[in-house]
Amino acid sequence: MSVSEELVDLALDAAQASGIAYADVRLISPQRYLNLAVQDGAASALTSTLSSGLGVRVRTDRAWGFAGTGELTPSAARATARFAVRLARAASRTAPEPLRLTDEKGPKNGRYVTAVRHDPFEVSREEAVALLTAAEKRLHVSPEVKSGVASFQAWDETKTFRSSAGASFRSRIVHVGAGVHATAVRGGMVQRRSAPSSFGGDYRQAGFEFVRGLGLEERAEGVGKEAVQLLDAPACPTGPTTLVLGSSQLALQVHESVGHAVELDRIYGSEAAYAGTSWVTPERIGTLDYGSDLMNVVADATEPGGLGTFGWDDEGVPAQRVPIVRSGTLVGVLSSREAAARLGLEHSGGTARADGPERAPLIRMTNIDLEPGDLSFEEVLEDVEEGVYLETNRSWSIDDKRLNFQFGTEVGHRIVRGELRELVRNPIYSGMTPEFWNSMDAVGDRSTWHLWGVPNCGKGQPSQAARVSHGAPVARFRRVAVRGG
Amino acid sequence: MATRQTSRSDPVGAAVRGLPEGTTADARVIRSSWTTIRFANGRITQPHMERSFRVSFRVAEAGRLGTATTGDVTPDGIAAVVRAARSLARVAPVEAKFLGFPGDSPPRPRTVAFSSSTAGLGPEAVTRIAERILSAASERSPGGRVAGVVNVGSDLLRVVNSRGLDRSTRNSAAHASVLVDRPERDPPVSGWSEGAHWDAAHLDAETLGREAGERVATRPPESVPPGNYRVVLRGPAVKDVLEFLSLVGFGGHAEQEGWSCLRKKRGRRIAPEQVHLVDDPRSSSSLPVSIDYEGVAGRPLRLIDHGIAGPAVMDVVTAGRLGRPLTGHALPPESPFGEWGPVPTHLLLAPGDASEEELIRSTRRGLLVTRFHYVRIVDPGRGIITGMTRDGTYRIERGEVVGPVRNLRFTDSVLSVVRGVEQLGRSRRIYSDERGSSAVTCPSLLTKSFRFTSATLF
Repeated sequence: MSVSEELVDLALDAAQASGIAYADVRLISPQRYLNLAVQDGAASALTSTLSSGLGVRVRTDRAWGFAGTGELTPSAARATARFAVRLARAASRTAPEPLRLTDEKGPKNGRYVTAVRHDPFEVSREEAVALLTAAEKRLHVSPEVKSGVASFQAWDETKTFRSSAGASFRSRIVHVGAGVHATAVRGGMVQRRSAPSSFGGDYRQAGFEFVRGLGLEERAEGVGKEAVQLLDAPACPTGPTTLVLGSSQLALQVHESVGHAVELDRIYGSEAAYAGTSWVTPERIGTLDYGSDLMNVVADATEPGGLGTFGWDDEGVPAQRVPIVRSGTLVGVLSSREAAARLGLEHSGGTARADGPERAPLIRMTNIDLEPGDLSFEEVLEDVEEGVYLETNRSWSIDDKRLNFQFGTEVGHRIVRGELRELVRNPIYSGMTPEFWNSMDAVGDRSTWHLWGVPNCGKGQPSQAARVSHGAPVARFRRVAVRGG
Repeated sequence: MATRQTSRSDPVGAAVRGLPEGTTADARVIRSSWTTIRFANGRITQPHMERSFRVSFRVAEAGRLGTATTGDVTPDGIAAVVRAARSLARVAPVEAKFLGFPGDSPPRPRTVAFSSSTAGLGPEAVTRIAERILSAASERSPGGRVAGVVNVGSDLLRVVNSRGLDRSTRNSAAHASVLVDRPERDPPVSGWSEGAHWDAAHLDAETLGREAGERVATRPPESVPPGNYRVVLRGPAVKDVLEFLSLVGFGGHAEQEGWSCLRKKRGRRIAPEQVHLVDDPRSSSSLPVSIDYEGVAGRPLRLIDHGIAGPAVMDVVTAGRLGRPLTGHALPPESPFGEWGPVPTHLLLAPGDASEEELIRSTRRGLLVTRFHYVRIVDPGRGIITGMTRDGTYRIERGEVVGPVRNLRFTDSVLSVVRGVEQLGRSRRIYSDERGSSAVTCPSLLTKSFRFTSATLF
């Protein structure tokens, strides 16, 4: 038995010795993070993080308790378990009725490991920094590019999970991502352009081979040029118009207006005071008209390469592919054992995840994908007499029920009679979730579809940042409120 | 022998002092202990306790910087983190204008307020605070659904560097927020309250619960059209405006990269005389700390000096690049907020002399906004942000609150909001993040124009 397994057993034994109904223990060791960023020829951040920790979650018949520690010693493991029990017992005083959970079998000695060709933590730092330095340099196409950044991030988590119900698994999950962005400034005007997307680029459950394949150096010059061109571009036209969204922006639209809205803890009010609730109500699951007939969304935790792909969630429930929207109708939600039981489901959807050993699992998105349609990009544009094509997120905001949204993108192009025309700056579009998705009348095919990684999905108190993915094609929406900011 | 003893009892200090010639370093030792009690649907749902410890080690070799962090504080662990930081520094591009780490020179850090009893509160005691909030809110709003959070804990930060600086600070904090909503109503209504203090004994759980309960409207909210309104912003809404102003106006990276909305306005009037905004990390009216993450002593910095825009804040990297003095606002170099940092984290807006009722009475036609949701930057160069109102937005007619309204989206410049300030409340409260690492102490205020660009259904 390894030292890690011994600590897990010690914590589990200490929790069980207190007579609680259930306990599970997650130990993550090592937990590694690498962040390399080059800005304007200098090192903005070259950081490596190595940590470990252990989290104990317990349940009395009425309440949960959770405690986490970064100290991996036998005494800390036992003390952490005892704190979790104290918290659960104290919380039980406010609980009028017993907790109900779905009955899950759980894995026995399960194993899940990311397939990695070139381990990002073994790749020489020289090679990684040289790649970034070369790309960053090419962003500076003009003195008006005041800032250029090229960055690379990698995460590595080795997890051991055991529960008092006999479930156990080990996993090693590796995520990587990289990107470039240029900021052009003239007077009071600021324009930013990024590639492959904003928020540091694109991300994948993979090795360094993914970063090499992004072609950052080849993309960088175009990114710098477009940032400068945006300084001279006309403002995006204002008014209701036909909107074609590029894949990365549509991925964020899915994230904000579908993914969060179908989290069952939000639907039941568990996140009401912080992240908010949802316009979806439990009784409408299965009948709610979410969007047009062309709208098909799945939550797929088995998708190769997704940041939301794993073997089992942090309750020991297996990864699943769950239909969320079928031909425009809401048919499924994201759930945990507790939330699924409340809804009357037989099993959890397996989406309870924590962002580290010291945090408790919450319902999180996995890989929430808008499935492709059958039109090429040109065919999506074809029927547009007058409209705009927008891509790469710049700003995002949505209300606490996930209805009223407003997104800004880095770049837009006018569309005239089915053709992309000139660049427009500061585009913003807004709408209401059901009207927007019901206005979708064309969906791009697999050639327009891309799986995007989102590394910074915030939820919970204390705040947790989940890494999730969204597959999205291009798609067309009619009579959307668009304006130039 | 003496060296070995030192490295056993203080491996971090020994590692900083033991670097080869030509290599300098600073290190942060951060120890945290926090209890978080979340409640929802009238019961405690997520009780949570967390103890963490980390060392962040940054080395500079011929202007090349590398940072590594670890949770392993054994001598072997510290040796490994030093190796990791040095291996990154060796491949780093040169930070040509790097200032070097600050020495142990004045100003000296002052002792700041700290509550040992707060830092030592056990899980049962923190749970009882949550129970008191639940009880007060339920009593004031029978039938309402109560949700919220209580965070209580403390952090210890030590910064040591190879120029002889060795300073520590500790902070304690208690923070709570509470929502009461009536989701069964169509449209639903809700009320909100929050507050923080460095001493949990001053966190008034009953008042917070009662305020949230009594702010739940008894009538259904009506729709009002988007447009420009005079607005009374309650403290939580003012907090958001000031935090975003500090990011896009006073942040060091915004200044250095040229996208600060105040870049050409420093030393010029951006607000009326009564708007006086100070960042003061050591103030006992905030959640005080005595040093920043580079060990620089905190001191008051006038960001808006009676209406006049002050300087952006600096850490060793931005100060070097711009040739400016350090201001004591460094974040940890490994911070995920590195893109924004350095930023002001202890904002205090000077109070005025009006009660909230007087602010409302001064408004012939306008809105009262309790708080915002999901605020994001739209155009940093112009200071434009967007977000939604939430949990208590009301219409004001002829100086009186006449009823709740459905929530609105605003899209406006933070500069326009502060430029339009007409009156400030006399009562201030501390609002903080969940770990007390940043705080805004502010009153309610009345601003003459706030641009709302769309409305939602509730």
